[in-house]
Amino acid sequence: MRDLYTQESARLLGVARRIARSDALAEDIVHDAFIKIWTRAAAYDPARGSARGWVFSVTRHLALNVMRDQGQTVRVSEQSEHALQDQASLETATHADTFEYRARSDRVFECLEQLEPARRNCILHAYVDGYTHSEIALKIGAPLGTVKAWIKRSLVALRECMG
Amino acid sequence: MTGQTEDDGMNDLDALASEYVLGTLEPGQRRDVQNRLAVDADLRAAVDAWEDRLLALTELAEPQTPSPTLWGRIERSLNHQDRRASRPPPTAQSWWNLLPLWRGLAGAGLVASLLLGMLLLNRPATEAPTTYLVVLVAPQNQAPGWVIQANNPTQIQLIPLSVSQVPADKALQFWTKADGWQGPVSLGMVEPGHTLSVPLDKLPPLQPNQLFELTLENPNGSPTGKPTGPIQFIGRAVKVI
Repeated sequence: MRDLYTQESARLLGVARRIARSDALAEDIVHDAFIKIWTRAAAYDPARGSARGWVFSVTRHLALNVMRDQGQTVRVSEQSEHALQDQASLETATHADTFEYRARSDRVFECLEQLEPARRNCILHAYVDGYTHSEIALKIGAPLGTVKAWIKRSLVALRECMG
Repeated sequence: MTGQTEDDGMNDLDALASEYVLGTLEPGQRRDVQNRLAVDADLRAAVDAWEDRLLALTELAEPQTPSPTLWGRIERSLNHQDRRASRPPPTAQSWWNLLPLWRGLAGAGLVASLLLGMLLLNRPATEAPTTYLVVLVAPQNQAPGWVIQANNPTQIQLIPLSVSQVPADKALQFWTKADGWQGPVSLGMVEPGHTLSVPLDKLPPLQPNQLFELTLENPNGSPTGKPTGPIQFIGRAVKVI
């Protein structure tokens, strides 16, 4: 457990921090993730995928659960603040990339490359930032319905590209 | 993409799994998926595949060094979990489960409880036949505290049924005496709550009715080499059929 912590805690905390948007909350999430990993380790089935992937999934979904369980009202006002901060990049958001996804080797990055930048940003805001549909819509200045459709289709495209 | 339906690329299950992993399901749907994951193997497989596909995207989140106190917090919580998980240890647990039964039997008489205990114990242990069995009970209330198992005549195991309370400045010493011996012989000091294996190669083979007892002695053992303190637990060996 100590080894896992030494090796992955900074990356796990980074993942949780990005979604939770608070250092204290992110540390709580990583704490809970380690306890969950420890108590479920015996039940973990290696056939289900890499142990490292599992550890990241546990952390990420805990962070998403925390954020989804929080009141929507808090999030909207927080989100408005975000939107204001990002006002400058808003105009370019639908055309330019907001994530440094290039020069990475995994297949998923090659497949992302084939998506239009706006759709790619939707996927990345959802996965990396843990944004909801409406937060993404607010962030990139596109209608909610459009964002939902883009995400659905982008996932289909990723599925086809990645197999 | 106009006119393309989801089914062209993915079935509903796969689409649900993909949005679950991406994190864009509504909270209600999200909880449904999490509940279904425990029982729905197809959904679980679809989710696992998507977790695997998208895992590399976690690289996009900037790593962040945890505060120095975080590991301490995790460690404390893990220790807490650990204690809960490891108590009682698996072998002790099956004995524990027999304890209420044994208590009742002890009241009816030590001999009767020994015979029944033997029968019960013998079933799971057919591969390693127990030749002798001793239940050590507290002299005042006959409550069983320890069991001695002898899988061969030259080695015995003293197994706790509970953690015996011992004063801080005292220790438990383990003794045996067969019929015809001059006096009890020490088999060593005993740590409450821990199994003790004792080789009997320095002694004659175990005999039926051989006496075993635990007495309260100084931490380094009885100064005289014979029991001096009060008897805490006592029992006699019974041959298992």
